[in-house]
Amino acid sequence: MREKATTLYFGPQHPGITGNMMIRLKVEGDTIVKATTEVGYLHRAFEKLQEKRNWLQSFTMMCRFCVPETDPMEELYARAVETIEGREVPERAKYIRVMVLELARLASFMLWYGGQNGSLGLYTMGQWSVGDRNYILDLFEELTGGRVYHMYIWPGGVRRDLPKGFEQKVIKTMDYLEKRLGDYDDLMFDNAIFKKRTQGVGIVDKDTAVEHGVVGAVLRGCGIKSDIRIDEPYEVYSKLDFEVPTSEGADIWARALVRRQEARQSIRIIRQVIDMMPGGAVYNKIPNPQKWKLPKGDAYVRVESVRGEVGLYAVSDGGTMPRRIHLRGAAYVHGITLLEDVLVGENIADVSAIMNSLGTCPPEIER
Amino acid sequence: MKEIKAKLIEKIGGSFENVSVKDHDSNRLDFHVDTNVIPQILTFLKVNMGYIHLSHISCVDWIEDGEFEIVYIVWSPTEKLKVFVRTRISREKPLLPNIDMIWRQANTYERELREMYGVEVDGLVADKEFLLEDWEGMPPMRRDFKTEEYAQNTFWSRDGREDAVDVREEIIKRSREEIPDFAKKYSR
Amino acid sequence: MSFFDLKGTLKPLTALKQFGKKPHTISYPKESTEAAERYRGLHYNELEECIGCGNCSIICQNKAIDMIHVEGIEGSGGDSGLRPRVDNGRCCWCALCVEVCPTGSLSLTKDYMYVSDDADSFLFTPGVDNPEGKEILSFTTSDGVSLNTFNRVPMPELEGMERVKSFAEVVLGYNEEMALEEASRCISCGLCTEVCPEHMHIPEYINAIAAGKNDDAVRIIYDNNPLPEMCGKVCTRRCEDVCAIAVRGEAVAIRWLKRYATETAQTAEITKEIVNPEIKEPNGYKVGIVGAGPAGLTAGYYLALRGYDVTIYEANAKAGGMTMYGIPKYRFPLDSLDKQIEYIEKIGVKIKYNTKVGKDISFEKIYTESDAVFMGVGFPEAWTLGIDGEDAKGSMQAVNFLHEVNAGEKIDVGKKVAVIGGGNVAIDAARVSARLGAEVTILYRRRVQDMPADWEEIEGAEQEGINIVPQTIPVKILTDEKGKVKAIEYLMAEMVADDKGGRPKPVAIEGSNKVLELDSIMGAIGQQGDYSFLEGDFEAKIKVERGRIVVDENQQTTDPKVYAGGDAVNRTADAISAIADGFKACKAIDAALAEKR
Repeated sequence: MREKATTLYFGPQHPGITGNMMIRLKVEGDTIVKATTEVGYLHRAFEKLQEKRNWLQSFTMMCRFCVPETDPMEELYARAVETIEGREVPERAKYIRVMVLELARLASFMLWYGGQNGSLGLYTMGQWSVGDRNYILDLFEELTGGRVYHMYIWPGGVRRDLPKGFEQKVIKTMDYLEKRLGDYDDLMFDNAIFKKRTQGVGIVDKDTAVEHGVVGAVLRGCGIKSDIRIDEPYEVYSKLDFEVPTSEGADIWARALVRRQEARQSIRIIRQVIDMMPGGAVYNKIPNPQKWKLPKGDAYVRVESVRGEVGLYAVSDGGTMPRRIHLRGAAYVHGITLLEDVLVGENIADVSAIMNSLGTCPPEIER
Repeated sequence: MKEIKAKLIEKIGGSFENVSVKDHDSNRLDFHVDTNVIPQILTFLKVNMGYIHLSHISCVDWIEDGEFEIVYIVWSPTEKLKVFVRTRISREKPLLPNIDMIWRQANTYERELREMYGVEVDGLVADKEFLLEDWEGMPPMRRDFKTEEYAQNTFWSRDGREDAVDVREEIIKRSREEIPDFAKKYSR
Repeated sequence: MSFFDLKGTLKPLTALKQFGKKPHTISYPKESTEAAERYRGLHYNELEECIGCGNCSIICQNKAIDMIHVEGIEGSGGDSGLRPRVDNGRCCWCALCVEVCPTGSLSLTKDYMYVSDDADSFLFTPGVDNPEGKEILSFTTSDGVSLNTFNRVPMPELEGMERVKSFAEVVLGYNEEMALEEASRCISCGLCTEVCPEHMHIPEYINAIAAGKNDDAVRIIYDNNPLPEMCGKVCTRRCEDVCAIAVRGEAVAIRWLKRYATETAQTAEITKEIVNPEIKEPNGYKVGIVGAGPAGLTAGYYLALRGYDVTIYEANAKAGGMTMYGIPKYRFPLDSLDKQIEYIEKIGVKIKYNTKVGKDISFEKIYTESDAVFMGVGFPEAWTLGIDGEDAKGSMQAVNFLHEVNAGEKIDVGKKVAVIGGGNVAIDAARVSARLGAEVTILYRRRVQDMPADWEEIEGAEQEGINIVPQTIPVKILTDEKGKVKAIEYLMAEMVADDKGGRPKPVAIEGSNKVLELDSIMGAIGQQGDYSFLEGDFEAKIKVERGRIVVDENQQTTDPKVYAGGDAVNRTADAISAIADGFKACKAIDAALAEKR
């Protein structure tokens, strides 16, 4: 029987997909010959709305750009505003920010553990890691008052100081998670099914990576050592001791190995930050938000999220509202052109595993 | 950092005309260039100078000048320097050269520019629709797009909030204050 | 990889060791955990503390907060009577409303359950709908984390002991940077405008200053106040008492900001250029005004703008009334006043100086020649202390003393002076005496915190080395053989609570007599009116009750053609009330004469 190409609509509602987007797959048998992404299901026009709100009000919208990892967005906005205005941030606030950012990375890794395995039909992992992520969310609730949308890092510092005894709770949670990461290894990295399904699948080699502006774990997965925390250190990262793991395989397996190491590095950073945290104020107060004007100017700041480099370009025209806020998501480059190229030649069953591995996050693409 | 910047300024200034430079205290350097040399200058930066990473492409609507400003941000992992390449194009007939053969992901940025600002990109091959569906009328990210009006025409409000009172109006009513019209723009 | 990966098959089975462990996400039986100490749940509003400034509804980027009338809460000065209501369908729990609340009444609670069968019950009035929320407050504001700036930009002043060397202005005024910073503290709620007798457009002119548009600020100020520089320097500023920021901090320096704005127009010409008044065509009506104090000048200015032919009759050589003769020049320099009078005359108001009505011109003549008359005659006469020795040489009335000093006369008060009273006149007289080189004591019958004088004036007096002796009741003035004041004898008093709920009363302590030696003594316990110019029929036609001219809400006296305002009418006895009276009378006169046309 002759094979005949047919079109499959993958998404927009699909449990294996990382959010609401659609991919039109042209397939011959099980093999994909062409993939076309369709986004637009999550466009909330945040950047337009921010132009109509003052510099403080806009801050509340930042965390909503990407749900799994909200704090890097707040960090970006705060730092962009501080760069334009030349506002100083107290030293303690910088340490708290790093702690929050790494906790957020850790929480996001936990979701990734679940997603990556779930996309391959290995559901136990997701139940474990999302359950363990809850302990991090408990910490966030205690620190910021919110579990997912923290709205905690704001221009000038952070909103509130650490609650009493918070450091001990963080350390306790880290001890627990460190132990659990070992359990995860048994279940995931020593798992024959996982290896078989991920090795040699979804390859992004060095040339493709540079050509597509690939960032984060995907870049490190093909052997390029690149991390914003090292390349352009922000807050107090230059004072911290941590490693940037790389791997050579360039496939889903290689990227998973990188993330496995990174989760451990995050715990290492959190422990250091708690050790080194100085006392003092956590917030350099802004003036009355109704009349808070930023000088004319622009800033482009970047942060390393779990998905890779996320940037924010902010422009002030000297008024009380932003002239332009423009987010550069890691998913924005990974989720459209790269994904379309990588999917060609792959199996239908691997699509969502590849999407997960590339860190495709539709809310970040569409904003 | 100073030498790196000086070297780059010299190279770019030597190879391209009409380039103005703005230096910043941080690891950032701005070049303002003519629109038509954008592909050449970015290729030069990528191939000759090691700025292999295109970090961002953004557009700012300077409606008061009748211009869009397009900003390309490239990064060199070896020099650790962010270079902003900026250019201005008219709002009336915005046209940009295509750069998606230099960096593939530029294709996505250019699609969004076309859809959200109405900036045409010469020779761009991509689906017309990106984030929006069946959109008609003014590209929505332009400054003169009436966001509130659009929201009011597209969505609706729940009933029950009609009894809201403006604090200033309430005080004015109660004390029979008479505010002249020209002063009202300074009210909250 | 081998076909059969033994390790890779067995390792995942270690997951079985979790079997039988207590699950850590779901608990049986169900236990609900309490939300964290800072949880951002439903709102709670302490209705008694809330002043309805609406700052929460302004910061809300979702437009989720409305200000509404709530049953049982009536607005009054300093409270709009409105309370926030949250649309829970829109709220995103960012809690910025909490951070900007100037009173700290708004908080979030640990309660996050909001379940209802009714899809339209998404509106929620914190504090009204959840009175129990008070017990579970979580995300609250404190002075340290508020987004309001509670500290005022300090006003540069001459140093205390430096001041008494001359009559130089004590308060130096804000520069641009200070003014912008201070103006940016204002949250523009407008609660202040209600208690201002003149209802000046305060948030509007402060916002104009904050926007760097001083010209517009001056225009807005002149909309209903032709003496703003005077108000900017010496207003009793009741607006600042109700400032929303003052609940937890220092009020926005409304008076100093007005001063800053008006000082940018340095001469009467510049003022005229900025304000650029539109003067209506002359309408042929004449208005006569008795007294060129704040009330008369205000009425005259706005009537002239409306096309009336205005003549003001002033007994003294200069216009300004009490603001000219009652306020010392270190508070309100002569050129500030001159500039404003000059500007008022520039738009066509005629002022006849040294013309005392009842002596140089009869009231009847003004009455018959004009279509309407306005009286802003003030309280020129001082109350006497009513104790022995008051007519001795060296005993005087503070208000007369200030008048003479301001008129440029040289007065010798000697080395030691005592002033009796606790109002602004007493403080002024004391501080002027200090500048004449005397050692000054203020004797006041109640406590310092009861003094009706401006707190800044009291502080200023203390800094200048003036001794304030509270709870004292003068008994008699002792004189020497030449009939000159030698000393004052007084009793100490204790404060006794008033049974009727009034403020505590001073009661003399028997036998606590003390004697203070001095060269001069000044009484400053109040003033009264002098209506002797109302001769003949007018005495009967224009009703005067308990020392004040009787007027209706339009400032109209019992003679329909005659209007009155200022100290002789109102009970607040300050310049801004006089300005308000003048402005009201202007509108009433305009309306009454328009009917005739």
